[in-house]
Amino acid sequence: MTAEESDLVLVKRVQRGDKSAFDLLVRKYQHKVVKLVLRYVRNPAEAEDIAQEAFIKAYRALPQFRGDSAFYTWMYRIAINTAKNQLASRDRSPIAYDLDLTDPEESHSVQTKLQDPDTPEGMALTEEIRGIVNSAIEGLPEELKTAIVLRELDGLSYEEIAAAMECPVGTVRSRIFRAREAIDKRLREVFEGGLGRTEEVI
Amino acid sequence: MSFERPEDRQGERDSQLSAMFDGELSAAECELLARRLARDEALRAQWSRFALIGAALRAERGVILHERVAWRVQSAIAQEPSYGDGGAAEGSAVRVPAQSASSAAASASSGWMRFARPAFGAGIAAGVAAMSILWLRTQEGPETMLAAAPSSEHIVLTPEPVVTVAQTAVPADKHPTIGGTGEPDRYSTPAPSSQTSFAPPARLANYVVAHSEYSGPLARRMALLGIVGNEVQAEGTEGVSTADQPASDKQATGAPNAP
Repeated sequence: MTAEESDLVLVKRVQRGDKSAFDLLVRKYQHKVVKLVLRYVRNPAEAEDIAQEAFIKAYRALPQFRGDSAFYTWMYRIAINTAKNQLASRDRSPIAYDLDLTDPEESHSVQTKLQDPDTPEGMALTEEIRGIVNSAIEGLPEELKTAIVLRELDGLSYEEIAAAMECPVGTVRSRIFRAREAIDKRLREVFEGGLGRTEEVI
Repeated sequence: MSFERPEDRQGERDSQLSAMFDGELSAAECELLARRLARDEALRAQWSRFALIGAALRAERGVILHERVAWRVQSAIAQEPSYGDGGAAEGSAVRVPAQSASSAAASASSGWMRFARPAFGAGIAAGVAAMSILWLRTQEGPETMLAAAPSSEHIVLTPEPVVTVAQTAVPADKHPTIGGTGEPDRYSTPAPSSQTSFAPPARLANYVVAHSEYSGPLARRMALLGIVGNEVQAEGTEGVSTADQPASDKQATGAPNAP
């Protein structure tokens, strides 16, 4: 089974009336969709607004979704269209900066922080989470670390990881789960279960 | 005997959740787990953290690792209709991607046809059945409809009028092969004057027929003749039911004992 088919199971549940299944899809793809929208708008808060609008549009259009393409692909198209519409529907006046932003990377970072009132707290939280995750990854046994990195960073399937690590697919599944479990445990220790809940944590 | 500990079950479930998140779980397992997820907030939170771990590992620039989008979407969706109850987003001004938009009309029409076709077939079948019942009523009279249960095979006990007795309790492969043994496939009995005098012999006949595969042709014939004779006697005492008489049962089981 592929990720597309797994998503399709959730999509069909939504089409049968299970709204919580759509919530799972949102939770799974929200960060990726925000990242996509950030190619069009640089303000993280605005990107989140557009992502939110895109997800709601997707929910309303879901009865027409037949699974000809992956939900992920379909969702991306909606997000891109929503972002483009958002840009087209408003007069985007250039933002004046007092800083000399010659480096694009630095430019983006500073611009982001200047435009988003939530950024200091949000970015601090994000940095903290990343630190915990990276720290937990470093503490993992090598085979678990390799498996989770190949999955999350390289996007390999279990079968491809099994071939790369020369082990059965079941072992890959177990290693990835154990890696996630270890990181998850660390996150829960730090945030006392505050993460992952559908509520505003900042 | 080994017992599975709750933590083992939870571990397996969490492992399945991880595999489902990666799209590496079978569709059947996905469906089961999705049902569990629908009512288990803790499991959904874990699902969210799996997503969070991936996003943190990828270090996506500008992406703030919180659940605000999911929270807002969930709040907005709560105001929307559920699709299962037929409340699809009618009239919503959603700009669907080109592929979906172009296929929407075809989807709607094909979806209608998909549901309409079997309904149309069922309507025809129901109409034919209704016509058959009406025709039978006109042919046989109301009293013969007493036992017109939906059964594929019937035992005809009376020639005038023809009375059909449902034999729903007998499996298809255990029906007697009366015709195959050269025996008559119909037995004539006097017409019953009331339903109460008719029903008991019919039940006895059913009983005998149901167990006739375990009896020889001669024993079966004797048992049926006994029933017919009993029916003739019953004609003289009209209105007397034999249903509650144990003797009738004994007579009916004149054939070898049922298994």
